[in-house]
Amino acid sequence: MHSILAVDDSASMRQMVAFTLKSAGYNVVEAVDGQDAWEKANGSAGRNFDLVLTDQNMPRMDGISLTKKLRDNPKFKATPILILTTESSDQMKQAGRNAGATGWLVKPFDPAKLLEVIQKVIR
Amino acid sequence: MNEESDVNDADPDELTEGAPGLSLAVATDLQDSLLIASNDLERLHTLLADACDTLMQRFTDASQHIGQLMARPADESTTASFQQLTRDLGGAVTALQFQDMAAQLIHHTNHRLRSCADSLAREMFGADEDGAAVVEPPPQRPNPVTQAEMDAGSVELF
Repeated sequence: MHSILAVDDSASMRQMVAFTLKSAGYNVVEAVDGQDAWEKANGSAGRNFDLVLTDQNMPRMDGISLTKKLRDNPKFKATPILILTTESSDQMKQAGRNAGATGWLVKPFDPAKLLEVIQKVIR
Repeated sequence: MNEESDVNDADPDELTEGAPGLSLAVATDLQDSLLIASNDLERLHTLLADACDTLMQRFTDASQHIGQLMARPADESTTASFQQLTRDLGGAVTALQFQDMAAQLIHHTNHRLRSCADSLAREMFGADEDGAAVVEPPPQRPNPVTQAEMDAGSVELF
C-alpha cells in the first residue's frame, strides 16, 4: 500500500484529503504544517513516503520551504511532491517549480482529479 | 466669532487629540466597532469550522456505509447507483472546501481590521504606559484567496 504524507494547517482540509486518499486505498500520515511534516519525514523515526501532498501557506514552515528541505535530502530526491493550495499566481507556481515540486494544484480540489494526478506521479 | 472662541466653546469629547479632524468620541466608537467586527469574524470562523467537521464526519460515515453496501452482491442498476452516490460525495467534498478558503479570507480580513484598530488607538491615545504601543502590522501580502467560485481549481504538473 502506498503511503502519502498529507500536510495542511487546516484540520478540515486534512480530513477531506485523508477521506479522499483513504477511500482510494492509500495509507495517509497527516502533518499540521511544514515543520511537523519535516519532523515526520526526517526525524529519528523518519519514514519513507511515496508522495508528499502539501499546502503552501502554513505557520512555522510553508509548502515551498518544506519542498526545498525535502529535496536537499537524498532520501526524498525522487519523491513526488504536490503542492495543493489556494495560491494560483504564476509567480508562486514558479517558486514551487524552482523548489523542486512535482506539480501545483489549486484548491478546491476535485477528489477524482486529485486521485488521477496522484496515480500518474506516484512510483 | 473667531477661531479661538470656537475651540473654547467646543464639547471636550469632541476635541481632537490625535488624528486631525477626528474627535475622540468618534475614534473610540470606530475602534470599538473594528474590534467587535474582528471578534465576530473569529466567531464565524469557529462556527464554520465546527459545521465543516460535522459535515465531514457525516460524509465519512456515508462513504463507509456505501462501501459496505457495494461489497454485497448487487445488480447492475444498484451498482451504478452506488457509484453515482460516491461521485456525489466527491462533489460535496469539493464544495465543502469553501470552509478552508473562507477561513483564509477571514484570517486575512481580521488581521487587517486589528491592524486598523491598533493604528487608530496609537494615533488617538499614544503609546501604552510603558511607552511601547503594540501595533499589529497590516498583512504584507495580498489575500491568498483569489477564487470567486467553487469550481475545482487548476492542475499543473511540472
